[in-house]
Amino acid sequence: MLHDLMFRLRTLFRRPAAENELDDELRFHLERQIAKYVSSGMREEEATRRARLEFGGIDQVKDECREARGISFLETLVQDLRYGARTLLRAPAFTACAVLTLALGIGANTAIFSVVNSVLLNPLPYPNPQELLAARQNDSRPNLKDIQRQTSSFAASGGVNIEPMDFTGNGEPVRIHAAYVDAGLLQTLGVQPMLGRWISDDEDVKGGPGNVVVSYPFWRDFLGSDVHILGKGIRLSGNSYTVIGVMPSDFHLPKEPADVFVSLWVAYPEAAPFRGVHFMHTYWRLKPGVTLAQAQGDIAQVDRRLAEQFPDTEKARGTILIPLHDWLVGNIRPALLILFGAVGLVLLIACANFAMLLMARAVARQRELMIRASLGARNSRLIRQRLTESTLLSLVGGAVGLLVAKLGTMFLIALKPAALHHFHTIPMDARVFAFVFAISLLTGLLFGLLPAWSASRGDVAEALRENQRVTGIGRSRSFLRSFLITAEVALALILLAGAGLLIKGFLRLRSVNPGFNPANVMTMYLQLPATRYPEIPSQTNFRRDLLARINALPGVETAMISDIPLSGNFVDHRVVIDGRPTPAVGTEPEVQTLAVMGDYFRLMQIPIRAGRDFVATDREGQPLVAVVNQAFVSQYLPGQNPIGTRIDWTRTGERHKWMTIIGVAADVKQSGLNQPVDPAIYSLFSQSDEQWRRWMTLVIKSRSPIAELVEDVKKQVWSLDSQIPISDIQSIDDLTAVSVAQQRFNMLLLGIFAALALALAGVGIYGMMAYRVNQRTHEIGVYVALGAQRRDVLRLVMKEGVMLALLGIVLGLAGAIALTRVMVSLLFDVKPTDPPTLIGVALLLGAVALLACYIPARRALGIHPMAALRCE
Amino acid sequence: MPSRSVDLPQGTLDLLILRTLSLEPLHGWAVAERIQQISSDVLRVQQGSLYPALHRLERRGWIKARWGTSENNRKAKFYELTRAGRRQLEVQRDAWEKLTAAVTQILETA
Repeated sequence: MLHDLMFRLRTLFRRPAAENELDDELRFHLERQIAKYVSSGMREEEATRRARLEFGGIDQVKDECREARGISFLETLVQDLRYGARTLLRAPAFTACAVLTLALGIGANTAIFSVVNSVLLNPLPYPNPQELLAARQNDSRPNLKDIQRQTSSFAASGGVNIEPMDFTGNGEPVRIHAAYVDAGLLQTLGVQPMLGRWISDDEDVKGGPGNVVVSYPFWRDFLGSDVHILGKGIRLSGNSYTVIGVMPSDFHLPKEPADVFVSLWVAYPEAAPFRGVHFMHTYWRLKPGVTLAQAQGDIAQVDRRLAEQFPDTEKARGTILIPLHDWLVGNIRPALLILFGAVGLVLLIACANFAMLLMARAVARQRELMIRASLGARNSRLIRQRLTESTLLSLVGGAVGLLVAKLGTMFLIALKPAALHHFHTIPMDARVFAFVFAISLLTGLLFGLLPAWSASRGDVAEALRENQRVTGIGRSRSFLRSFLITAEVALALILLAGAGLLIKGFLRLRSVNPGFNPANVMTMYLQLPATRYPEIPSQTNFRRDLLARINALPGVETAMISDIPLSGNFVDHRVVIDGRPTPAVGTEPEVQTLAVMGDYFRLMQIPIRAGRDFVATDREGQPLVAVVNQAFVSQYLPGQNPIGTRIDWTRTGERHKWMTIIGVAADVKQSGLNQPVDPAIYSLFSQSDEQWRRWMTLVIKSRSPIAELVEDVKKQVWSLDSQIPISDIQSIDDLTAVSVAQQRFNMLLLGIFAALALALAGVGIYGMMAYRVNQRTHEIGVYVALGAQRRDVLRLVMKEGVMLALLGIVLGLAGAIALTRVMVSLLFDVKPTDPPTLIGVALLLGAVALLACYIPARRALGIHPMAALRCE
Repeated sequence: MPSRSVDLPQGTLDLLILRTLSLEPLHGWAVAERIQQISSDVLRVQQGSLYPALHRLERRGWIKARWGTSENNRKAKFYELTRAGRRQLEVQRDAWEKLTAAVTQILETA
């Protein structure tokens, strides 16, 4: 064994010497044999001829000797690589084409794989993430605590609700995201603060101390990375809090943006004890060894108990636990997997082109290969040489592909799809590199093997005979070529169909009427601090003054609403309708409630379908009024005149404060363009008794530039109260864009892949046709000499390509009908087998194929019969 | 070609080479010549298999090569048996004798 290894190494290192020795040894043998024949009376030439004939292929014997010496594998590889690199460099156009084709295919795949890797494959940044669960439904703090106490499946549980807070440090007041938490949250996630400590259980109680834990970015940006910050005070929404901890830089909550963490009991004592306030996301950590099913059964029992105990609010319980990772990526997973599949098809098309390039090149190199074969090189040896070459190409393609992928991921991030919101960069880790290496290697071997294998069959003599006029390049090879063309056309059609469907769905989505006119409207979000505006009258005064001041700006009109359309935000209330039998407690209809002030409907151009709009005299001290939307009427007051009907929220132990419906407004999309419109009630801020609804969104209409206007409006806000932060400044057009961002992302990506596929398929067909025309120059020349017309020549040449393309299109249509079904969840208002789309993309692909056939065919028209015959 | 030559059974070439070299160091051509001579032209070694076999035996450490001067005064590569090669020759020879004895027995009695 040791001897064997030493021997191999020695031969490897003294390679040139060993080669010379082999040469010498074999030459000596030949000379000796010739001498023997001469001495037996043969003539010199005859002796030489005979000896050589007996010896056989010298190259082959050498090969076998090298193999016998065990130098073959590494040695041959080095040799083949050197040889391959030299030949590739000698054909720069071919090499560039092949590398570019593969780089596009591999690069696009790698980019998508990087996303799949960071979103779907990477584990969550918490210890033992497989133990973490999330509840699908929000819950209240009392319920969370009861469940934790009454079950045995969970090691820990915690809840969080994100609320805006104002941080008033040195400069302008800033609106930040505060996480209202309970003490169990951090134990559940299993993370420790970087500095100081987390909120303890005995601080997380009614009247607990005003302690705050801050995030790393908040500590860095607003507290100057002060390492002595612990124990110091900061002001949040008018109250003073003591900093007790700083979280590590890589910590974030599973889903929620959070700058500071405060106890729910401390920051929001009004809501903390209420069982019916289901507003916390809850997270659960399983005890080791407990299964999801056990935990689910455990929690279901408590749910039943709570429903019996508290029928008023807990009747409809049914907590569903899901693994945290699924909860986080569940929405994006189908889209990502479909994109990954689509980009895989692009790679297949690129590979088909790559294989065809190799085949065309094999024909150009036929003479070289034949010479080597006739010198005794074995078939397996030639195949191996060509595989080395194709793998070399594909690895270079993969390296360039990495570059493409890097640019690609930057582009993906720039698209800002909602699901990639938390990702600022998409890292390329070891797994991504392994992926690139693996697919490059596989591509080179697999798609290099096809043409190499099909070219190597058939014996040399036949090939030699054929060489003079290469008409039929072996049946197997022309079959392979036809197969590749058909396959890539079919794959391209599937991609085009998918992209077409997404584009159509997107256009449908964009053309959905949101119910208002977003032109020239800008919005800003404000929230009044509870400390200075505890009651409705003070809030109303601020609001009214603010509207008056902004309306006084030249050319500016403004109104306000609690939550703007398309934001997905609203407050749900259960309502009762006067004169109707009261439904059982907890089963009253639940509707969206929105508060407005000012000329909101006119400004947003939301038509009033019946009755009247709010007017200035509808205000505090006057009869309570409401406007409902059409969905409300059709669902709860069908066939009735809604005007004059009285409604109110459900109230326990309080007298009703009936509101009279005075008007019906047209439906407005509150949750997103692809969401249905739910019943909604508009009431007046000034007539509200909900002093907790302290937030508002200004809608401002103006023709002057936004930037200028923003400054003017801010000045007006701060002239009333300099401690109020302003946030979410955007035009409503932006909001529309955000609401379709995910669809746009899907459509753009699949569109790009389809365009890439179309281009690759077009190039593939073109390449094949150009090659065939070249090959058939002689035949065409004869044809023309025999009196064929232009039309005949065109038909002769184009027939093959067009037939293959048609076959590919038909197969592709079948494939598309079978495959686009997986896209249903991504499509808006389009069936996956939408005939116009399928026909459209088939026509588009057909046109491209026709063009790709026509250009080389036109060249065939220029063939002069004499020249063609002479080219023999 | 003389019609009385037969093809070598698989695996016997190594044994013949080892045996031939056990008498004295020889170069490749001489090995082939010697086998042909001793077998009275019945066994002919193809160069295509001789040299790979020599190199294979050398790699296994059963023979070693050195450059010397041939009978016609040319530089030639001589192979000689190593100690391991001598042992291997005994092993293979033993196996061969057992095999042929067995085959003969079957041919004569069965």
